[in-house]
Amino acid sequence: MVRKLAQPLPKAGDNSIIGHMLNGIKSFFSKPANVRMVIVFLLLAAAIAGAVWLYIFSRTDLRLYRLGMTRDEAPPGAIESIMGRTLPALYAMAASAVVLAVISLSFQTIVQSRVLTPSMIGFDSVFVGTQTALVFVFGAGSILFADPYINYFITAGIMIVVSMVMFSFILRSGRNNIIFLLMFGLVLSGIIGSGTRYLQVIMNQSDFFQVQAATSVNINNMNTEIIGIAIPIMVVVVFATLWRHRRYDVMSLGSVQAKSLGIPYEREITINLVIIAIGMSVATALIGSLTFLGLLAVNSAREIMKTHKHLPLFIASAMMAALALILGEAVRVFFEWAIPVTVIINLVGCVYVFYLILKENKT
Amino acid sequence: MIEVKNISQSYSRQSDNETLSDINITVRENTITALVGANGAGKSTLLSVMTNLLPAKSGQVMLDGVDVRKIKTSEIAKKVAFLKQTHHLSIRITIKDLVEYGRFPHCGGRLKDADKEKVAEAITYMNLEDLVDKYLDEISGGQRQRAFIAMILAQDTPYIFLDEPLNNLDIKYSVEMMKIVGKLVSDLGKTVVVVLHDINFAAAYAGHIIAMKDGKVYKEGAPLDVITPEVLDPVFDHNFHITKHDGRPICLYYDHSMKHIHNHGDHVHMHEHPHEDSDVPHAHQKEVRSEIN
Repeated sequence: MVRKLAQPLPKAGDNSIIGHMLNGIKSFFSKPANVRMVIVFLLLAAAIAGAVWLYIFSRTDLRLYRLGMTRDEAPPGAIESIMGRTLPALYAMAASAVVLAVISLSFQTIVQSRVLTPSMIGFDSVFVGTQTALVFVFGAGSILFADPYINYFITAGIMIVVSMVMFSFILRSGRNNIIFLLMFGLVLSGIIGSGTRYLQVIMNQSDFFQVQAATSVNINNMNTEIIGIAIPIMVVVVFATLWRHRRYDVMSLGSVQAKSLGIPYEREITINLVIIAIGMSVATALIGSLTFLGLLAVNSAREIMKTHKHLPLFIASAMMAALALILGEAVRVFFEWAIPVTVIINLVGCVYVFYLILKENKT
Repeated sequence: MIEVKNISQSYSRQSDNETLSDINITVRENTITALVGANGAGKSTLLSVMTNLLPAKSGQVMLDGVDVRKIKTSEIAKKVAFLKQTHHLSIRITIKDLVEYGRFPHCGGRLKDADKEKVAEAITYMNLEDLVDKYLDEISGGQRQRAFIAMILAQDTPYIFLDEPLNNLDIKYSVEMMKIVGKLVSDLGKTVVVVLHDINFAAAYAGHIIAMKDGKVYKEGAPLDVITPEVLDPVFDHNFHITKHDGRPICLYYDHSMKHIHNHGDHVHMHEHPHEDSDVPHAHQKEVRSEIN
């Protein structure tokens, strides 16, 4: 009764909904942990905006300055032409970073490990293998290979099939342990890698160069042709994953307890594997293999957010990944370093994996 | 009502290697039913099949007259709660968060006021009010077990299945846990099925005991009917001596051959082999230990 009296009297039907929302917002901000979370998000967003500005500045004004020009003295169309390459590169970096972070977190939840990510068990080798096989079977001139969209759909399809086969074998047979997964991934990427090399050796030279061009995608040589499809796919992957965030929370209790709480576990794993395969294929096709970005992003998000809830973790991981990639690349362009940022990310990631493995073994 | 009809289950493809064969039981309402038996008798497997965590290969498990395989997982979770043997979590989580997950089948993770009330009730019932914001790795094993029971209480199901809830608990917490389970039945009208390793806990707290051997139900009935040498000797492949205390049967199950061993301070001697000082008894102790494990 007391609580009812303390509330303002409802005036109309509409107001009660707004009042309810306001109460919800009030109670959300009454918890210090939530306030801290929002501040972290705002800081991260500001840092990303700064990184984006630095990247664009380094590629336009700074480059002109080094050439001894100001913006006004630049040849007509030069800025537009640079921006025409800079913006797709930014989109591509953001899209692949976000996708990698989100699927790395959901993958870690379904395999119950903080050390593994989809990249680490050889997903990218499937990408290279598919490209090589396409050229070998159909030729470099075939529309299946040459058209970036058709090529993407075929690659994604094959990656879905391979990951389903691979994981249904691992996860369903209850042998869900890290060592087994890692060994399986190692052997799989070894087999696919040597098969790929075999095909590349026996194929004709012009085909080989085409394959080389398509598979040596990296941050300096992004495949921005497929940006038109990569962005919508990123949106779908992110929404499909975020929408299930409460299920991931329950699934982090372990498969048995999740099932007992009403999660159709096998179906969830299947859905997740499809999402992960779609995400991995788009990220790898855009920007090449970024083995440790997802791992670094997810674990640093865990450290910052200090929560097990997946919604803030998803958002923070995605922001951390985008920040690491864009800021790293911006700094590289700013100082005109020759080493790509991905090399540094992989170096740091490697050390971090060692640390995680040692730490997990202790407990 | 839960009825198990002609359940047979095998892990390997060979049908001669069955972990469960032709099980027919009806779970007694508002009672603690204890599943007892030697390692590998199929107790935990039967529990998983009854809760549909492991879909039955042949036969049926009927929940209120409907085959569980035809019910959505989320609907089963509103009627049946299952607590597994070990609670190793890969995440760091507070008691309150854990108990709130118990409401997942009802609200899909979006807790409404009614759900929050249930959570508060469960926490109060399990005497965890002072610990709600503690992380699970900061509390004792007994408190952790109580937190998991609170989660199951919040799940608010008429049926509760517990797989060896006394594992890793010392005697004090084991007794506390069984008293709690007893209260779930007497105060809240729950139906509990529990796998117990220690038959004396089954004898003392269960209303109905199912003794299993080699994937079959060897004998089921009231404690006085099941806790007898005639039933337990073959089920556990061991010689039992049964006595009574307050009308409840108690098993004395130490090895009778140990009667020949006398304890002289730190040294153990066997009568038959007075000269072999240490070898034989050590080997024997090792055997006993491996049995316990």
